[in-house]
Amino acid sequence: MTRPRLRLVGGVCAGFAEHTGVPLATVRLVTVLLSLCGGFGALLYAWLWATVPSGAAAADPLPKSSLARPSAVRPQPAVSSPVAAPGAWPQGSAGGNHRADRWPGNGADPASPVTPNRQADSARAAPVTEILLGLALLAAGSALVASRLGADIPLAVVVPAIVVLAGTALAWRQFADIRSGAAQQSSALLVRILGALVLVAVGILLFFVTGTNPNAWTVILAAASVLLGVAVVTAPWLLRLWSDLADERAARARESERADIAAHLHDSVLQTLALIQQKAGPHSDAARLARAQERELREWLFTGSRSGSAEPATDLATTLHRIAGEIEEDFAVHFEVVTVGTGVGVRSAASPEMNTSNTDAPESLVAAAREAMLNAARHAGGAVSVYLETGARGIELSVTDRGPGFRVDQIPEDRLGVRESILGRMRRAGGTASVRPGPGGAGTEILLTLPAATTAPATDEHHTETSVR
Amino acid sequence: MTDLDSSSATEPSAASAGLRVLIVDDHSIFRSGLRAELDDDIVVLGEAATVDEAITRVIDLQPRVVLLDVHLPGGHGGGGAEVIREAAPRAPHTLFLALSVSDAADDVVSVIRAGARGYITKSASGAEVSEAARRVAEGDAVFSPRLAGFVLDAFGAVAGETAETTEELDRLSARETEVMRLIARGYSYKEVASTLFIAAKTVETHVSAVLRKLQLSSRHELTAWALERKLL
Repeated sequence: MTRPRLRLVGGVCAGFAEHTGVPLATVRLVTVLLSLCGGFGALLYAWLWATVPSGAAAADPLPKSSLARPSAVRPQPAVSSPVAAPGAWPQGSAGGNHRADRWPGNGADPASPVTPNRQADSARAAPVTEILLGLALLAAGSALVASRLGADIPLAVVVPAIVVLAGTALAWRQFADIRSGAAQQSSALLVRILGALVLVAVGILLFFVTGTNPNAWTVILAAASVLLGVAVVTAPWLLRLWSDLADERAARARESERADIAAHLHDSVLQTLALIQQKAGPHSDAARLARAQERELREWLFTGSRSGSAEPATDLATTLHRIAGEIEEDFAVHFEVVTVGTGVGVRSAASPEMNTSNTDAPESLVAAAREAMLNAARHAGGAVSVYLETGARGIELSVTDRGPGFRVDQIPEDRLGVRESILGRMRRAGGTASVRPGPGGAGTEILLTLPAATTAPATDEHHTETSVR
Repeated sequence: MTDLDSSSATEPSAASAGLRVLIVDDHSIFRSGLRAELDDDIVVLGEAATVDEAITRVIDLQPRVVLLDVHLPGGHGGGGAEVIREAAPRAPHTLFLALSVSDAADDVVSVIRAGARGYITKSASGAEVSEAARRVAEGDAVFSPRLAGFVLDAFGAVAGETAETTEELDRLSARETEVMRLIARGYSYKEVASTLFIAAKTVETHVSAVLRKLQLSSRHELTAWALERKLL
């Protein structure tokens, strides 16, 4: 026989019912009746509770969770009932737990779990609750039996003891809930904790108030007891605070470790990749691979620190870096992207309502820049400088290569790459584009400018992009 | 930069036996790679891997140019900037050229403010590093496009802030802004000169002036970076 996880108080009745095949309601009824007959049932119940092992966490949901009462009010009867009716056992003592409705008939349908996981956690995490409640029940039961047998029971001691045990159990339960992270309404939780604490304090005080003639020692003892009781009850909470602090420290240590690793990667791996690129020459596959790896690593290393600024997906500078990376993967080219000025978003032509800021760069600028960079990669290769400046004057973007160079008027009429994808696009976006020889007469410099005042919508037409030149 | 020129003139060995440099980097693979790639007229006096080692070597060897990694272990955790601060007073003829793989502005600003005469990325080829080292040895400042970009940002040049007088440390003059802008675009000094129709020497003067401002300015953005790195 085991006590199932599916239980109301100790699971004794349920375990017995399961073991014998007798209906659960009948077992419970008999138990209650036996308890009323001189407390025999209660004593048996307590004894079985203490001796019968708890069953393994079964797959079935816990019955306490089936109690269709809001969790916040469950334990409330506990505060008063044991004090008010110490003789009305077992209901009174059991009320110290939130499984208050243990008597048959009030047992709710086990098929409607509310929060089984939380309950399971708290049940596992706090066997203390069961032990304390068991002790309270035992005390109450033996006191009752003893009084029936005619013994002189010092109720002045027994009643407070039961109250203290039940109160501690209740408090422990609440703290276990806190510890297991089962967040509830904090106000309700506070009320319950306070109730539990008051219960403990009252119980301890009762020892002395109802005891013999009070003297100085009694008072001191009472005060010490109250303090001790509160300390015991709040210990789990303090423990939790402490462990939280330790967790936080550990998290910080992990974070700094991550930063250390990042710094190490940054130095050693990036350097190696840079070295490979140097040795292998700009046009080799090895250099291209190393460059791609370097870019990925850089992204991984620096996105964390940059994430504070605007969303990366729509930032113009980030977009340029991404485009550079994509092109570098396909061509033997290295883009030195330098961005200066305030961050500027990218206004999507497809959904202009998403970014309403007038300072945002239209998508056509990005497309034109991409085309210019692609041109440089295709026809020049090597090192290409991309410079983006965003400021009060607007947006200025230049792509400078050191290739053979070309002139717009030399491009055949049927080649639309530069004429349409770059010049036309910028014109329609309200900006300008110029293609001119690079510095010192070598290579090509494509300069895209977009005045700040431009609020013209980016009406980028759907034309077919043809290869340049 | 006449004082620097005269100082190199007082060292006849520098002219006859090539440029004496010290390579400081904590990665031996990079040191040996760089050593092999440097031009023939550059004499590598030695290598150092940590801050303490670098300080000792700089003071002992008195190289003309130190190729200095920004991130270095040892010392008080100050990296390349710490090397410059500690070694520079006891090696008056030594100039520092910072090398880094870093993209971070504070890394750049920290070494420049400590006194480095230039900053280039490690992806530069051996010839480029050699050229930069020669340039530094001649007293010029060496700006990579990225450093020029940082400067434009840090001095608010993009926002249209322009210095009224050349003495103003917190802002760039219109001409300096133009020069920086072209360098950021990847132009060489010579190309900047021909584009702006000025002499190459004038470009160098502008760049040196910008470097001085970068080192001396108390501009908010610069000091913020410096404060973050506990440099002030």
